[in-house]
Amino acid sequence: MKRMCLFLKFLCDAVHGGRGSYPDFFSLPRCHLPVRRSFHLYHKLPSIVPESCLLILVGLLLGGIIFGAEEKSPPVMNSDVFFLYLLPPIVLDAGYFMPTRLFFENFGTIFWYAVVGTLWNAIGIGISLFGICQISAFGLTDITLLQNLLFGSLISAVDPVAVLAVFENIHVNEQLYILVFGESLLNDAITVVLYNLFKSFCQMRTIQVIDIFAGIANFFIVGIGGVLIGILLGFVAAFTTRFTHKIRVIEPLFVFLYSYLSYITAEMFHLSGIMAITACAMTMNKYVEENVSQKSYTTIKYFMKMLSSVSETLIFIFMGVSTVGKNHEWNWAFVSFTLLFCLIWRALGVFVLTQIINVFRTIPLTFKDQFIIAYGGLRGAICFSLVFLLPPSVFPRKKLFITAVIVVIFFTVFIQGITIRPLVEFLDVKRSNKKQPAVSEEIYNRFFDHVKTGIEDVCGHWGHNFWRDKFKKFDNKYLRRLLIRENQPKSSIVSLYKKLEIKHAIEMAESGMISKVPSSVSLSEYHEGKIKPLSPTEMENMREILTKNLYQIRHRTMSYNRHSLAADANEKQAKEILIRRRHSLRESLRKTNSLSRERPAAANTKRFLSLPKNTKLPEKLRVRNKTSSRVGDSSDSEMDATTTVLNLRPRAGKILREQRLRQQRPPSEFSMEWKNEVDGSQNGQGEQQEPGSLPQPSIGFRQPLLTRPRFGTLSREDLTADHELARPVPPPRLVRQASQGERQRRYLKEYQKP
Amino acid sequence: SGAKPISHSQITRLYSRFTSLDKGENGTLSREDFQRIPELAINPLGDRIINAFFSEGEDQVNFRGFMRTLAHFRPIEDNEKSKDQNGPEPLNSRSNKLHFAFRLYDLDKDDKISRDELLQVLRMMVGVNISDEQLGSIADRTIQEADQDGDCAISFAEFVKVLEKVDVEQKMSIRFLH
Repeated sequence: MKRMCLFLKFLCDAVHGGRGSYPDFFSLPRCHLPVRRSFHLYHKLPSIVPESCLLILVGLLLGGIIFGAEEKSPPVMNSDVFFLYLLPPIVLDAGYFMPTRLFFENFGTIFWYAVVGTLWNAIGIGISLFGICQISAFGLTDITLLQNLLFGSLISAVDPVAVLAVFENIHVNEQLYILVFGESLLNDAITVVLYNLFKSFCQMRTIQVIDIFAGIANFFIVGIGGVLIGILLGFVAAFTTRFTHKIRVIEPLFVFLYSYLSYITAEMFHLSGIMAITACAMTMNKYVEENVSQKSYTTIKYFMKMLSSVSETLIFIFMGVSTVGKNHEWNWAFVSFTLLFCLIWRALGVFVLTQIINVFRTIPLTFKDQFIIAYGGLRGAICFSLVFLLPPSVFPRKKLFITAVIVVIFFTVFIQGITIRPLVEFLDVKRSNKKQPAVSEEIYNRFFDHVKTGIEDVCGHWGHNFWRDKFKKFDNKYLRRLLIRENQPKSSIVSLYKKLEIKHAIEMAESGMISKVPSSVSLSEYHEGKIKPLSPTEMENMREILTKNLYQIRHRTMSYNRHSLAADANEKQAKEILIRRRHSLRESLRKTNSLSRERPAAANTKRFLSLPKNTKLPEKLRVRNKTSSRVGDSSDSEMDATTTVLNLRPRAGKILREQRLRQQRPPSEFSMEWKNEVDGSQNGQGEQQEPGSLPQPSIGFRQPLLTRPRFGTLSREDLTADHELARPVPPPRLVRQASQGERQRRYLKEYQKP
Repeated sequence: SGAKPISHSQITRLYSRFTSLDKGENGTLSREDFQRIPELAINPLGDRIINAFFSEGEDQVNFRGFMRTLAHFRPIEDNEKSKDQNGPEPLNSRSNKLHFAFRLYDLDKDDKISRDELLQVLRMMVGVNISDEQLGSIADRTIQEADQDGDCAISFAEFVKVLEKVDVEQKMSIRFLH
């Protein structure tokens, strides 16, 4: 046994190692070609073959070894072990990192596919198999209709584990991913109900109509009951973490305990454990993140990934091991027709259902999407375990079923898993032909992608949704107050911001200068001279540099990846971008500060590196305490991090401000006052242009950042008649939730001068 | 004007988005309102994109202007391509999309992307690990690949030519703006 475990470990490392650490190998100098080539092969392998296949192969190998060595069947995966220990971590991981927004956006479609689709598949496969069984030539006539239906129900369960394992390779868009994945999670409820229903039917003498209705009612109870248990325990977990700030070390424990508790509780009541744990994880996620410390949060994330990786590995290996043995009965007809019907009914089902659901969707599903959904319906370990759970007394042909299930699983995981990627690529009809690659190509592509993402963000992509807004209001009013401990900005971006702020504030106060940013200013030197042509290696170098360093497109939802946490990389990138923007804004501020009023026309075109010359900027008036701590402030004192220090000199020029008030102002008021230095028609008044609107990302921000003004050294100028002074108004509170805008407006009112 | 008009439900959705961004409730958006969008803040080209919404010298944009900018990103319907050659070119034509992108580079609006402007955009898109010299040479190379009249800058025509193989229609289209 010990030998097997060691061998297992070695093989796992071999398989996993191919994924994780390959970038290191590229830094080897080119002379180590043989080494490099073998590692190349090594790293290519996981991208061609999904990991699940490799794991099953490993399992098969092991099973073969055990069988050969000990001359008896290897240990079959115990269904209890699977359902109680191996499955929950995977589902927890999936539920925790599930992009909830996208999930709920598509909930209707997911639900439709999960419920109706699974029913369609189950009944379709069951009935058609029954039809096949009737043909006496195949020797299957002793399998009753109910048994066939039961078999159909368990084989139609799309498996989240397998789906995840395969979808990692193909980069589908988020929507598609969430559809297939959500379906695989939700159809557990159906599968459980159908399975139990048909199993009990098989054991009953007579079946009445009332039983069928009871079955339908059972479905609702199982599904909704599971979800309720999950949500309840999720809230309890969130509530618990509110009080754990003294015992940070065991915070992660609560997360895992409560989710497992939800699973066990649901299973105990014969409800759907998978739905319970998914609901628990999704509920817990939002609130727990805000309550636990940064370190606990990281621990939770990494530990969850670790557990799920281990579980997945074990599941697939066990599947491989269990295949080898004497549990089989082969019947050509049954097995092949099972496989055939699985494919046919899945394809038909997806096609028909999509036609119906497309009517209700805003973004209809294309043929390519449908193909991926149909082809991506993989079966996996759940079917496998369910078939082992069949009582042999009622099912004399159990071994036949086992064989058939194994064949289907292997087919879907291997054949479909391996071929889905090339097929997807093939279906991408519009492909830019590979011309002579230019260095600039990557730049342009990335440029377009960023622009597109930006515009999508402006559009909000999803628009408003009545229920979501309602939920958000409810959430803010009650849930967040109850479940979240105040006063805790957690994200490293926030703390970084604060640090930057304090640093700059002190600098400004002391010297009036800001620390120089290396990158932005030096670009301005004009480079005369001929551009020399580059050799191919230099071009190659350039391209490599670009590929490595160009910023990634921000994915709206982190695409789920079993093996890595994409959030970390994105956060680093976001930090860089934010720092740079702030610096560029500050640079421009510094330059305007140093411009004296007597030279209004000194056009410094390079001032705002990201904005054109004639930009009219809103000016934010903020004077801030240099020492950054404000006594008497409430919980918002820590949030003041983002106010800039701008000690306006007395003759500061016109001080203007964006209006954000209830009162309406004629638009002409805004257009007149913003002239840059070049335009001298404004009576020679220099501008004190303050770039004030600082980016306020809320990714990673747990709470909105309040910028609170202090009007200490504000001074104004009298203006001529046609320039009405806009009253300085505190900057708008940059909020995430709409309800806090209410507070802001009330707050603004206080500050208005009469 | 020859193109399929944007659907009513889309306009409603975008209008509700517009009003949700418009915190001052005065029917126009300012730059600040855009900067409040958190995802835009960490977009490397965020400022430029925001700026594209505002016309020359303005700092407020109303819904019409908002839609006008967004209209550039409507997908090009296949059956539109051959339709109505006489009417004014729709905003989401390939040429107009490219023009939009060009304007994002070309800050001083002299219809040329100078080396400087290119460097600025590059620097925005790239991490901190690239030195200025490397970036400079990449920019030089980019210009060299596009430049045909030897003025060390990229004009709009050269820009179009460089991108002729790139599927701009697909890259600059947002699916739900149909």
